[in-house]
Amino acid sequence: MAEIVGALGVPHNPFVALALARGDDGVGEARRLYDALASELRAMKPDTIVIVTTDHYNLFFEVSVPIFSIGIAERAAGPSDYPLLPRVDVALDAELAREIQASVVAEDFDVGASRELELDHTITAPLCSMLGTVDAALIPLYVSGSMHPLPSARRCFALGRAVRRAIEGSSLARRVVVVASGAFSFEVGGPRMSEDSHVGVPDAAWAVHVTELLAGGEFERVVAEATPAQLEAAGNASGELLDWLVMLGTFDARPPVFIEAQAAEGHSFAAWRLAP
Amino acid sequence: MSVYAVDKVCRRVVREPEFVEALRADPERALRAAQPPLTDEERELLLAGDVGRLGRMGASFFLLHQLGRFELFGLTLPEYAARIRAEYAVERRASSLHPNQAPRR
Repeated sequence: MAEIVGALGVPHNPFVALALARGDDGVGEARRLYDALASELRAMKPDTIVIVTTDHYNLFFEVSVPIFSIGIAERAAGPSDYPLLPRVDVALDAELAREIQASVVAEDFDVGASRELELDHTITAPLCSMLGTVDAALIPLYVSGSMHPLPSARRCFALGRAVRRAIEGSSLARRVVVVASGAFSFEVGGPRMSEDSHVGVPDAAWAVHVTELLAGGEFERVVAEATPAQLEAAGNASGELLDWLVMLGTFDARPPVFIEAQAAEGHSFAAWRLAP
Repeated sequence: MSVYAVDKVCRRVVREPEFVEALRADPERALRAAQPPLTDEERELLLAGDVGRLGRMGASFFLLHQLGRFELFGLTLPEYAARIRAEYAVERRASSLHPNQAPRR
């Protein structure tokens, strides 16, 4: 029977991932943090990693923008959007993904499916920086966290609960780790960028506050405080917190075994161990 | 309607290397061929790299910044950023728009 054995939260800055892949100077702290999570991940011994992320106008745009969607395919490659990043071609767990979709749709969560998909940097950056240290199949689960209208924090958290029931109800023998990919406060290309970059962190205090709530296991408070106004104030990529809320919904609230914010980057690295 | 058409041009830049080549070779011709069609104003603003004005009109900043990343219409990422900062200088001075200094609670 399938079991959720752990959960992680990571950022996916493509420029940091590129610097890490090239061994550049100046990203030592990111290396340390990704390594800390990689060590947790190896101890979790996952067969399957459900990675909850926000598509960055790559997979979904002209034809349709689903609020939630899941990847159901045998393999997927990428990145589709940052050609300088290392190329990956990975196995997906189509069997479990199909069961998750059927289960959550039966529970009234309208989750679409992609049968052919390219991975973008939001998946391949953490994959190259960390997730690739284990031999696990992926299940991409997409939340529409950048194109308005966004789903509500409450709905995303509830979807996590439904994903948990789907996994725990599966007869497949799987150790599953749920990974959220995204930042808490981030602006890409918009008016709130910093003075020396095309990106910025409009609300570093919010990123720190969310990190503190997570450190205390106060998931419901994050859900309550992640209002549309707060997400708007935190930058045009801050809807990625919704990816974390789906992940947080997949287990009973508790303090993590590891959490550390990079406040100036508007994000955190976190790990929860849920089973031996 | 069509800020969508501008967004779509920016998205194609990320995903279609041949479109980027066409934009470098003859930007006006490539933009005139875009579907759905751009308005005359949108085309002129793109050709001028006026990302500030396009942002004001509602184009996605995330997508617009790709024009800087792929160095089209006279832009680079630093030049893209400088133009957005210039367009929004008043708001940025005013305030809460300025990064890293918004005390919240």
